[in-house]
Amino acid sequence: MKNDTADLKDETYLQVRNVTKKFGTFTALKDISLDVIEGEFVCFLGPSGCGKTTLLRAIAGLDIQTLGSVYQGGKEISNLPASERDFGIVFQSYALFPNLSVNENVGYGLVNIRTSKSDIKDRVTELLSLVGLEDQGDKFPAQLSGGQQQRVALARALAMSPGLLLLDEPLSALDAKVRVHLRHEMKELQRRLGVTTIMVTHDQEEALTMADRIVVMNDGVIEQVGTPEEIYGHPASPFVAEFVGTMNFLKATKGDNENINLGAHTLSLDDEEKAKLNGADVLACVRPEDIVVRGVDANTENSFDATVLDLEFLGSFCRATLTYGDGDVNLNADFSINLVRDKGIEVGGTVRIALPANSIHIFSAG
Amino acid sequence: MTDQTMSSASPAIVKPKLSRDDWVMRAFILVIGLWLVVTLVMPLYVMLSKSVQNKDGFFIGLSNYIEYFSTPALFYSINNSFFIAFLSTAISISLASVFAFILSRSTIPGKSVFKNIALLPLLAPSLLPGISFVYLFGRQGVLKGLIGDYSIYGPIGIVMGEVFYTFPHALMILIAAFSIADARLYEAASTLRTNRIRTFFTVTLPGIKYGLISAIFVVFTLVITDFGIPKVIGGQYNVLATDIYKQVIGQQNFEMGAVVSVVLLIPAILAFAVDRFVQRKQVAMLTARAVPYEPKPHAIFNRFFFLYCCIISVMIIGTIGMAGYASFVTFWPYNLELSLNNYDFDVMDGGGWGSFYNSLEMAAYTAVIGTSVIFTGAYMVEKAKGFGIVRGIIQFLCMIPMAVPGMVLGLAYIFFFNHPDNPLGFIYGTMPILVIVTIAHFYTVSHLTSMTALKQMDPEFETVSASLKVPFFRTFLKVTVPVCLPAILDISIYLFVNAMTTVSAVIFLYSSDTALASIAALNMDDAGDVAPAAAMCMVIVATSASVRVVHALLSKGISAKTQKWRTR
Repeated sequence: MKNDTADLKDETYLQVRNVTKKFGTFTALKDISLDVIEGEFVCFLGPSGCGKTTLLRAIAGLDIQTLGSVYQGGKEISNLPASERDFGIVFQSYALFPNLSVNENVGYGLVNIRTSKSDIKDRVTELLSLVGLEDQGDKFPAQLSGGQQQRVALARALAMSPGLLLLDEPLSALDAKVRVHLRHEMKELQRRLGVTTIMVTHDQEEALTMADRIVVMNDGVIEQVGTPEEIYGHPASPFVAEFVGTMNFLKATKGDNENINLGAHTLSLDDEEKAKLNGADVLACVRPEDIVVRGVDANTENSFDATVLDLEFLGSFCRATLTYGDGDVNLNADFSINLVRDKGIEVGGTVRIALPANSIHIFSAG
Repeated sequence: MTDQTMSSASPAIVKPKLSRDDWVMRAFILVIGLWLVVTLVMPLYVMLSKSVQNKDGFFIGLSNYIEYFSTPALFYSINNSFFIAFLSTAISISLASVFAFILSRSTIPGKSVFKNIALLPLLAPSLLPGISFVYLFGRQGVLKGLIGDYSIYGPIGIVMGEVFYTFPHALMILIAAFSIADARLYEAASTLRTNRIRTFFTVTLPGIKYGLISAIFVVFTLVITDFGIPKVIGGQYNVLATDIYKQVIGQQNFEMGAVVSVVLLIPAILAFAVDRFVQRKQVAMLTARAVPYEPKPHAIFNRFFFLYCCIISVMIIGTIGMAGYASFVTFWPYNLELSLNNYDFDVMDGGGWGSFYNSLEMAAYTAVIGTSVIFTGAYMVEKAKGFGIVRGIIQFLCMIPMAVPGMVLGLAYIFFFNHPDNPLGFIYGTMPILVIVTIAHFYTVSHLTSMTALKQMDPEFETVSASLKVPFFRTFLKVTVPVCLPAILDISIYLFVNAMTTVSAVIFLYSSDTALASIAALNMDDAGDVAPAAAMCMVIVATSASVRVVHALLSKGISAKTQKWRTR
């Protein structure tokens, strides 16, 4: 993943500056600013109603922002209608013209700019082979599977060689298997063409696997912008921590020596996290998969005994509900199946666990 | 582009630049709005103002209304109109409810035949049942004995005619209401061991509630605004619609005609408002997860159901058949030999065969121009961006015609287009004014059909087109029109058949050059030429029916040819 960024020309292609969008009294976007680098694949990720689609539609000129400006390729496009901007778009519904064949759909915009029929035909063939549908050109959309329709929509969006590709939940309408396959293909295609791409999604897995950078949004504001690794490994806010992946939120208090006290246990922190210890009460966050059992003994740093309250079998791993100390505080931990077998972990038993210092994130408890 | 120029962006509200498509769409919307203002709003406004003016055009407040309500001969018509409307509605709805229930909830054979028979009255002008009942129950009627000493000329005849005329309208709404049943509710009722009767009252009736209310108000409006039937068979029994005619044509008292129009407009608008309100609720009832109800056979009930449908069908066919038979009888009741004498319209007053050709021409223009204007207008209003207030106003204007009785619209046109200062006055007495008034008269249903079809289109088609730099009108012609073709054909056939059969709006507006078949029938009946009037009605029925058949074949052919994308 990291290698890809090296290929990117390090130039800002799209700039969103202080964009606010109001619908009546409701403010859907609050003073959003964002840079998208040329050739980059950016995902807008967030729960429904967070403003991610509104931001995409503002960038496309479909619902122009109330305040603020948008620049594309160095040119201000803030108030331009969609038809005067340079983008291709794929919708969740695909919006394929049902009465036109696949060829006619893909060539729909070409008819306006190219004179010769053979030029159009060549370009359509090229686009269809790009998405792996070279032999489907004469069919109608209703005769194709959902995944094929999605690819036709993609080919149509790319037909005019747009500078910007916008994808509005393009995979949500598909079966889980097709979705996994297509997100790989789309990412591959985007990398090959190098077209700057913005995708809106509410599916964190999709964002994590496809994006070069993820923009996590909530309630009309950007919570965090970063690479998938940064978003997952260093969430900037409790919202991001909770929305992306699974997270334990543990109430703790600030202890001596920039440690924290979790019930009766004292945990040490990384330097980076120590700096975040502001008040007396803090939230210590740790992902279930970061909780360690193997090789943990009485001397291991940040280790303590926990009682197994429940073991939920989830196929490739088990999610254990643990409790520690006298409190009724629970903690989730993901244990692999063979760990559960090797260590003889069972409901009601005790297991010594460690929360490695580098896996603990601190947020102020507010 | 440096960051400094970025941050200098002012916090002013962004004023979206309009694209060429936006301008074109707005221009279209304004044209449609102007059309509606000229063909609907201004005539109605002029008519309303006439009702508070004297003959010389001076404002005299409510004097005309005071005169109206102090003249028993006039305001008794309100009573009469309501009496006829209530009675006809009750009978029509009762008969149609049972019929609709049988067609949608039983397994009797021949349901589609019964349905087609029940819809036949739609093809005839409303005066046809009037004429037919004269032959059946009139002074020399074949079945005179059935009504004893009562006279068919009056409330009895009017009510019977109105029931015949409104039956298919009620039936269509009720079938739609019955067919949205959710089978899961019936399964739930039967697993709870609910008996059939309780299921009917707890599941079936609540399910059709809104459809039933809607049907009641639609039928009520049709009856209270109908002119043809009371004109032909009403005798001395006056109703509001015939009063307008008498005031205007008989006494040339236009101001009083306007007053009666306003009086008639009020119940029509109220009924319409209730209907719209109820229909909005109906939409939400059927969820996407509902399972269609599959009727199960029931031997004993089915026998009764079949008998019922047969009786209704015989009555409908009998009524049309009687008019048809009478039209071929040489001289009723003295010379029963069959001949085509009555079809020799050219030797009679009323307009002759020329009036039939006029009707064909008028109906064709109405269908072609009306469909183009209404569908294009609906598209612009539905798909344009921004311009919300104007689009809202136009949506509202499109609803008005449904509430305006034809007689009222026709009279309003006289006031507006016959005014010496109106630059459009030159169309008065010509074919164009007949086409325009007919389009205006039947605008609402056509508009709603267009909107339904357009709302089923993906809203992002226009967005995709814009991103591909394709002007919207290309998408409109290449995608929207082909995909909506079935709806477009439905609208054109609706306009054509109604233009063939309508009497009310056009009766004030035809000239000797532009007499229409339905009006010729009315005038021949008025002049005592009842058999030729029946013959003209039959010509209209035959025309409407053949156009319907052609439409059905055409739709089938078109969907086989151009709609192949619908099938997988």
